[in-house]
Amino acid sequence: MAYLTRRSVLRGSVALGAARLLAAPHIAKAAATTATVWFAQGFVQDEDVALRKAVTEYEKASGNKIELSIIPFAPERQKIISAITSGVVPDMVDSNPNELLQLYAWQDKFVDVSDVVDTQRAQFSETALESAQAYNSVTKRRSFYGVPLRAAVVPCHIWRPLVEKAGLRIEDIPKTWDAYFDFFKKVQDNLRKQGERKVYGLGFQVTANGVDPYNLFSAFLVAYGGQDIVTKDGKLHLDDPKVRQAAIKATAYLGGAYRDGYVPPSAINWNDADDNNAFHAKLMVMDVDGTLSTEVAVKEKHPEWYYKDMVTHGIGYPNDNAGKPVPSIVGVTQGLIPKGAKNVTVAKEFLTYFIQPKVVGEFVELGLGRWLPVMPSLAKSPFWQNPKDPHLRGYIQQGLLGPTRSDYYVFNLAMAEVRSQHVWSLAMIDVAKEGVKPEAAIDKAFKRIEEIFAKYKVA
Amino acid sequence: MMDSASVADVGRPATRRRTLSRSLRGGLKGGEYTWAVAFVVPYIAVFVAFVAYPVVYGLWMGSEISLYRELFADPIYQSTVVNTVLYLALGVNVKMFLALLLSGFFMRPGWWMKVLLLIFVLPWAVPQISTFISIHWMLNGEWGFLNNALYTLFHVEGPSWLNDRWMALGAVIVSHIWKWTPFWTLILLAGRMAIPLEIRDSARVDGATGVRGFVHITFPLLANLYLICTLLSTIFLLGDFNAVTFISGGGPANSTHVLATLGIRDAFEIANPRLGVAAVMSALPLVIPLVIVLMRKLRTAEVQL
Repeated sequence: MAYLTRRSVLRGSVALGAARLLAAPHIAKAAATTATVWFAQGFVQDEDVALRKAVTEYEKASGNKIELSIIPFAPERQKIISAITSGVVPDMVDSNPNELLQLYAWQDKFVDVSDVVDTQRAQFSETALESAQAYNSVTKRRSFYGVPLRAAVVPCHIWRPLVEKAGLRIEDIPKTWDAYFDFFKKVQDNLRKQGERKVYGLGFQVTANGVDPYNLFSAFLVAYGGQDIVTKDGKLHLDDPKVRQAAIKATAYLGGAYRDGYVPPSAINWNDADDNNAFHAKLMVMDVDGTLSTEVAVKEKHPEWYYKDMVTHGIGYPNDNAGKPVPSIVGVTQGLIPKGAKNVTVAKEFLTYFIQPKVVGEFVELGLGRWLPVMPSLAKSPFWQNPKDPHLRGYIQQGLLGPTRSDYYVFNLAMAEVRSQHVWSLAMIDVAKEGVKPEAAIDKAFKRIEEIFAKYKVA
Repeated sequence: MMDSASVADVGRPATRRRTLSRSLRGGLKGGEYTWAVAFVVPYIAVFVAFVAYPVVYGLWMGSEISLYRELFADPIYQSTVVNTVLYLALGVNVKMFLALLLSGFFMRPGWWMKVLLLIFVLPWAVPQISTFISIHWMLNGEWGFLNNALYTLFHVEGPSWLNDRWMALGAVIVSHIWKWTPFWTLILLAGRMAIPLEIRDSARVDGATGVRGFVHITFPLLANLYLICTLLSTIFLLGDFNAVTFISGGGPANSTHVLATLGIRDAFEIANPRLGVAAVMSALPLVIPLVIVLMRKLRTAEVQL
């Protein structure tokens, strides 16, 4: 039996140290060609497969190595924030959530990636280019700190069988905003008469959890003419009567629909997944929810739902009450390189490869089209124009070819905090549950928004 | 030439130094001392890296006064403090009291009592996150199991359990009690079983049976253990965010947050980790006295049950 002696320990330590020294150049060489990449897990497995394929092909083409970590959505957000706070960062992350770009660019925590964006600048949509920029409060200027990878808008998802059960037709749905949503109240009324106790017309997320309620409220705010609440110069316009009126109308409609019993009562405390679950259980006639996740989640298991029963209103997305098209707010996922990354060169090279139209186009298509491309030329592909698919053409029309606009936090980071503090949600809930008048609820919300904006001064 | 007094003055500190050095070395000499240090260093390194550093880093992160100004200006902070106090006061005390009673019940003889105990500990044994998500869905006002059962059996429309602050907070507290009572029951059961039979027998001979036996014999002997369990449970519960996160989600309208969930919200949803740390640190005035009392009690517990 071998005994551990002081000499044997010393000999072992010296041998280990020598081995490390001899291996050092090889380790350094490998490190120079390896980049660590974090990316959010997809809603369906196909999204992860698509990402892995792109990464493998890049590795083959470049000889570099990508250490890819695919992490569930919520933990990835926590990991990214923890990494940036501690300073021990990966070489590339996706913007999860999207406002992460503006948040940390403000603090000068991201590498300027204008050179990467420039390689495909002519290809990107205007909204994608706008969303990739952020204000840096240290350098006092805006620049590209993100590389647009994919995008999403908020379509309306409808169950055809429930509309038809109510004795109505999808083709009967009006084209203007209020009439469009009122239609589903009528569907609910008719279903109630048939004894359907628990099916609700509207899946409005009047809750203070997740990102859905902010997206819902913003869609209504824009539709009612309040799109200039924050202008491109980052200025807040709460004193604009049009903005105030639009905010009051949005609060009144969304809160009122809940109060009047057209929204499931539990919606007041939903999380981001609850509306999807309730919709899939056919407990709501329609849902207003971001991406095509509602549809692609059931494509494999329930193809009849995907191809026949579910209707996505991208093309049918309602106009405003005057009949004019309503621009959809686009959320763009960006590739980001945190400052302090060990291998900025490989990270930039990987992003440059990834945003080639062929690569990024295939990436979104293999992911079943849950996400939209950020290059208008990619909308012409047979995948997006497939006449047999009932969802994709409408979705890409709404989110890429039709009128779109960037989210407000792109122009002023304060709006990201308005979103995470759920200021609009609290106004909706005040009306829906507490019986507060919409005007009073909006006064309270505007006061809070002003307080938040006071923290973020754009020079 | 030095006089005797000055020799004594110079010599004394040197002796003291030698004594101190010997004391630090724990009586070890030469190579033995080197080996001892070599074996202790990894443990010290692990302690510094994984205990001391995170604590100091946390204290540093939450050390700015402006963070507390921002925290106190948050409209939901006050209701969060009230929720935390209620969660601790009811969650801990009701649970511990039930555990005390049930530990007496499970002292009864018989094989069926063992089977019952096995079933009783199941809530504690199952994974808590999936359990709390199930409770969240079970309490859904429209489609949850509870209201559907009420309607099917009695044609009664149940309330929206998670739509009201107090009902949602109540659901969180009841779920916590349901989940953790078995664990503390087992601890107190072990405590009861450690009471020597002779003491109980003598008490019985003297007429101390039933409630009298509990009041005069069992509880005084269990009192220290009960107090220590209560303090530990309070400290654990202060850092617990699973029940609130997965049952009420902090809603409706952010009205059921506790300090732990507010800290997570501020750190990762508002993306301000320092503010999140400050939210949790604002509980320190409660935690520090608890830890001090706990340490003192652990010392006295050495000679008691």
